[in-house]
Amino acid sequence: MDRFRPESFLPLTPVAFEILLTLADGDRHGYSVMQEVGQRTGGAVTLHPGTLYRALARLLETALIEELEARPSEGDDERRRYYRLTARGRAVAEAEASRLADQVAAARARQLIKARP
Amino acid sequence: MSTPRWLAAAVSLALVAYPRAFRRRFGDELKRDTIRTLDTSGTLGTFGTLFLSGLAERWSAIVRYWSWSTTTPHLYPPAGRHAMFWDTLRLDLRYAVRLALKTPAFSLLAVLALALGIGANSAIFTVVSGVLLRSLPYQAPDRLMMVWSDNTREGRPQYPMSPANYADLRDSVREVVTLTAFQSFITTNRLMTETVTETLHQVSVEPQMFGMLGRDAILGRAFTPDDTDTVLLSHGYWQRRFGGDQTILGRALNIDGASRTVIGVMPDDFVFPYQTMLGPDGFTRETGVDAWVPLHLATDPFANRGAGLVRDVHYLAVIGRLQDGVGEDEARAALNGVARQLEQAYPDTNRGIGTTVIPLHEQTVGNVRPALLVLLAGVGVVLLMACVNVANLMLARSLGRQRELAVRVALGAGRARLVVQSLVESLVLSAAGALIALLFVQWLVQGLVAIAPATLPRMHELRPDLTIVAFTAGIAALVGMLVGIVPALAASTPDVRLALQDTGRGTTGSPARRRMRNALVITEVALAVVLTVGAGLLMRSFSTLLAVDPGFRPENLLTLQMTLPDRLTSPEARQAFYDQMFERLEAVPGVTAVGGTTRLPLGSTSVTTTVVAEGRDVPPGEAPEVQFRRALHDYFEAMGIPLIRGRGFTNADAPGTPPVIVINETMARLVFGGEDPVGKRLRTGPSPTAAWLTVVGVIGDIHHTGLEHAPEPELYMPARQGPPVSPFLVLRTTGDPGALASSIRADLRQLDAGLAVFDIRNMEDVRTESMAARRFLLLLVSVFGALALTLAAVGVYGVMTLVVAERTAELGLRLALGAQPSAALRLVGLQAVTLAGTGVAIGLGLAYLLSPLLASQLFGITAHDPISLVGAPTFLLLTALLAALIPARKAMQVDVMEALR
Repeated sequence: MDRFRPESFLPLTPVAFEILLTLADGDRHGYSVMQEVGQRTGGAVTLHPGTLYRALARLLETALIEELEARPSEGDDERRRYYRLTARGRAVAEAEASRLADQVAAARARQLIKARP
Repeated sequence: MSTPRWLAAAVSLALVAYPRAFRRRFGDELKRDTIRTLDTSGTLGTFGTLFLSGLAERWSAIVRYWSWSTTTPHLYPPAGRHAMFWDTLRLDLRYAVRLALKTPAFSLLAVLALALGIGANSAIFTVVSGVLLRSLPYQAPDRLMMVWSDNTREGRPQYPMSPANYADLRDSVREVVTLTAFQSFITTNRLMTETVTETLHQVSVEPQMFGMLGRDAILGRAFTPDDTDTVLLSHGYWQRRFGGDQTILGRALNIDGASRTVIGVMPDDFVFPYQTMLGPDGFTRETGVDAWVPLHLATDPFANRGAGLVRDVHYLAVIGRLQDGVGEDEARAALNGVARQLEQAYPDTNRGIGTTVIPLHEQTVGNVRPALLVLLAGVGVVLLMACVNVANLMLARSLGRQRELAVRVALGAGRARLVVQSLVESLVLSAAGALIALLFVQWLVQGLVAIAPATLPRMHELRPDLTIVAFTAGIAALVGMLVGIVPALAASTPDVRLALQDTGRGTTGSPARRRMRNALVITEVALAVVLTVGAGLLMRSFSTLLAVDPGFRPENLLTLQMTLPDRLTSPEARQAFYDQMFERLEAVPGVTAVGGTTRLPLGSTSVTTTVVAEGRDVPPGEAPEVQFRRALHDYFEAMGIPLIRGRGFTNADAPGTPPVIVINETMARLVFGGEDPVGKRLRTGPSPTAAWLTVVGVIGDIHHTGLEHAPEPELYMPARQGPPVSPFLVLRTTGDPGALASSIRADLRQLDAGLAVFDIRNMEDVRTESMAARRFLLLLVSVFGALALTLAAVGVYGVMTLVVAERTAELGLRLALGAQPSAALRLVGLQAVTLAGTGVAIGLGLAYLLSPLLASQLFGITAHDPISLVGAPTFLLLTALLAALIPARKAMQVDVMEALR
């Protein structure tokens, strides 16, 4: 495979970026990703299970996340699969974040966003 | 957490949309999370999203695999189920095509039957969708309403409006609905050039009409409120008369002696008004519009009398556009409210006058909807029968393949695989049928347009487009499934043990399969009975209509309409012209009598007046309304209308002598009850100072509006006491009237070059045309009936052939044991009778239940007409027996040795 270039994945779909963001905190299973995204965005983004798992499938295919062999905590529902951000995934998430930051800066320069007090 | 089982099942079902490998990996969690989502916040949409996202996954998996199989990483193996699916499908397709080619006779028959059924359905559907479903050629047409006066006194809910009523309504309901009017009839005008006078059919419309309809001119502009001496041309007339001349704008046309400037040409697809938007009264039977001229009520001579607009002359048709946010009912309520106020304010003219609001689309095509739906149902039944027939053929064919199927099952083929394969076979057949159908469906549609009656609106707007292809493909898919499902189910359950045993005779259908086959034939016969009963009813109805005596003799009668030259302004000049003309026409060899009238029966318009008989005081507004015409020269004699009492008109009934009238029998009964009307006097119109008219004769009734309409009361005045400008002429001839047409036209031209002569027709044709809509329906349903009969016969023949083939051994044994050949005939015959009889009985029940749907299309008979209900099934039964006779004869000739070997 060619040299890994995080930029080639950009721009990420909003759903993929939300998942990467959530997994940056720590390993999670699917449903907890959904809940976390819902809470963090204050309900502005609600993931549908179908959308979530399709996005997870794409992220797994491109090795931006990986599935854990071991369960992080005992007593948890053993049928849950846990996902972790890979190094590639972290690099892509960073690239996407800085791309978005650039966009926000550009918007601010054109006074589309008011400067924070 | 307790989840209802149905919920879990529903989610599982939605999950089927996902590729199997995806489901294996994420299915459990996806299901669990979806149910949790549903428990907390889910709606029905959650299911939809789940399902759609599954289809998206499936689709993208297929696309990625086929397009970028080597460069894209795959979470689940590329050689997954989707790849296998296509491989199997390819195999099935190849197998189906090979099988079809191996049995060419079967395939050809099946494909042709399906092509016919699919093609006929596509054609009829194209017509139905073009006429009934396509929106009118105006902007936001569903917001447009037709507004009539509702004349409850005479039971005429679609009565034109009077100018004063229209103006009051328009001004009072402005907030709710915008109203605009046009003259509810087409006028025949003369377009005069230096050399010739031609006719031009025009409608006067208020200038704002085009803006309200939301259509503008394709060349130039539509009317503005200030337009007066201008004219807008229709696209067709512009092409026909001016060859599409781009420089036509600004040209002055001399129409009826007045100069009008051409300001625009309307687009090709713009039709206004449709014939069904016109009122019952008028001057001509033409329905196409060549041009529009602006109508200003303030200056219109019909609309004004004395100081203001008239309230008792009804001649306006009104179209309304609902304001934004206003519903139809709200508009109706507002209009009715104003109508009630007008009723109280002007009781003399407005008592019993309400309003009728009809959506414009309904006004335009509502009257043909029942007939078209009958056609659609009929052609649908034919298709269903074709399906049943082909299904039966496939069933029979699969009989011969039973061993092959059994081997496949024994080798591990699943039931689903066999069903899919069988469906692929039938889909290949129906696809081939659809392709052939597409080749000729265009001609079918053109044929339908060609034979469609002129009264069928929007027919000539039909344009070939892609919907017909889409519809054909849709039907083909449906037909493929329908045809395939029975044989598919039968094929999927072969009796492996039985089929693999080498019995030497092999092909005996299992009882289940025999039952299925019999059920199919019974269905077919039943459907055929429904169609033939329908065709029988229409045929009986049509022959009843043909037998109606129109009240005059239509054979050997030439009719035409004319408009007098402009220079003949005085009644005396017109009468002098008529005298000269009739003298000349009577001298034409082959012409035995000549006359004329202002409204010709069957297919022309009408005009009415109220009458008050002397000594019979009726309150204003309750005077009986009668049809009003003038008779020219020997009209009654030329038409063959019998004189019942008194006398007809003579040359002595001239201006200056007391005005006289002739009335028909219906009017005599209506106005004078049982008394002899000859010598009695009456007045027309509301004016109490109008002259008394003396009844001098009574003539027989004629059917004016149509043969199926009861004769109306009629009053004739002699043309000498008021010569008309644009009469119809009738010429009684000794031979074929058509042969005289051109010489009569030339004669009239020679008489005066300014005379406009048009619409020359044979009265027999006029009569035929008045029944054209019924003839159209009858013709098509009869064709469907004939097809149904053929299909049923083929079906019975096919099954009985199979039966004989199956029972050859049994028959041989019976014959060997001493049975007479006639016994074999009886055996087979009995089976055929049982099958056909059951089908006929069921079909008869169905026909009895369904025929009332046809009631609106029937005349003179009831929907449960016994002759149709007995005749059609009997005929069908005989046909079925005849079809069974061929295999039955074969049964008699069974070779005993051959059969037992």
